Amino acid sequence: MVAHPPARPNQAVYLALLESLRQAGVTLSAALPDDWVAPLADLLDAQPDVTSLRVAREPEIVAICSGAFFGGARAVGIMGATGFLACVSEIATLNLRHQIPVFLVVSLRGGLHDLQVFQELQGRVFVPLLRTLDLPHLVLDRPEKVALLPQAYEYGRLHKRPYVVCLSKALVTGQVSEH
Amino acid sequence: MRSEEYFQTLAALWDGQLVVCALGTNANEWWRVTRSPDCFYMHAAMGFSSSFALGLALAAPRAEVWLLDSDGGLSMNLGGLLTEAAAQPPNLKHLVLANRCYQTLRGAPLVNADVADYAGLARAAGIRNVWSVEAAAELRERVQAFTASGAHAFVVAEVERVVETGQFEAPPPLPYEGPEVKYRFGRHVEEKLGISVFGPQGF
Repeated sequence: MVAHPPARPNQAVYLALLESLRQAGVTLSAALPDDWVAPLADLLDAQPDVTSLRVAREPEIVAICSGAFFGGARAVGIMGATGFLACVSEIATLNLRHQIPVFLVVSLRGGLHDLQVFQELQGRVFVPLLRTLDLPHLVLDRPEKVALLPQAYEYGRLHKRPYVVCLSKALVTGQVSEH
Repeated sequence: MRSEEYFQTLAALWDGQLVVCALGTNANEWWRVTRSPDCFYMHAAMGFSSSFALGLALAAPRAEVWLLDSDGGLSMNLGGLLTEAAAQPPNLKHLVLANRCYQTLRGAPLVNADVADYAGLARAAGIRNVWSVEAAAELRERVQAFTASGAHAFVVAEVERVVETGQFEAPPPLPYEGPEVKYRFGRHVEEKLGISVFGPQGF
């Protein structure tokens, strides 16, 4: 039997993510996080100069960030991989049809560090789904990649479509990445 | 009130507010009465025009935002009422056309529409300023009041379903779509509010 690796999220990683989002110009967040991305949502909630929302269901995040785009704000959406699966229709018919960029931070569940039965399906379909939707994405599995978020934000705007940052457990726990 | 009364009343009171139209009847009929290229016609993501308008209102607090929503759309995103209630931006005016059916599906049944209390759902979610109107005169008074109030508003308007008889004239199709909706609306917002939606290279 394989034991679950210890999961000790490193708060310094989340602080670095927050700083990188700030450098990208983010002033609005909408979130329905799972436990991997929850510390980032909590940090954003605590920023007095960031308008933060918690939502009831993840497709709201996609639409809120899309509306914020037209108000001239830079927004970030935060959710778990399971929630992302619920957003496919909105991403396809709102963002891809109208070419509206949004920036999402989504947990990369179901890998070697996440041997849980309720995440195994997400582990198989999440990244292939991003490819099917032709969404640019970045697997964030090493601390030095966190500094790429401002460029990733611009890349999503340039390509006029959602950009998905996939937050791996290896990043937040310092474990070896499988990617 | 009749559908044409609803949209003509709103169009007569419209004074430059940013307008987001839910797909279906709202987008179709608002285009029919205004022919305005300055609005966002959401021909997609049914139910999530309310979340879109919420994000727009929060990002652009100096602009009054009219969301032309429907009971069918509201039913698809009832959880969004909780999110809206948590924020209640004063510049967001959420109008729900309640015709108790899917009008653009020729009146196909809407779940539990005969008894659903949409205003009651909004109040129970925590939205403070909620009204129901049945006549065009009531709608006119309410819109004038909420514009003057500077407070978030949620209005449910009971509107007769349209029976497509021989005299029925279908709304004209929007002659542009997708990316053009984005750029027309975004450029309008930039001009109206003096902000940048798109960057210096147009994206």
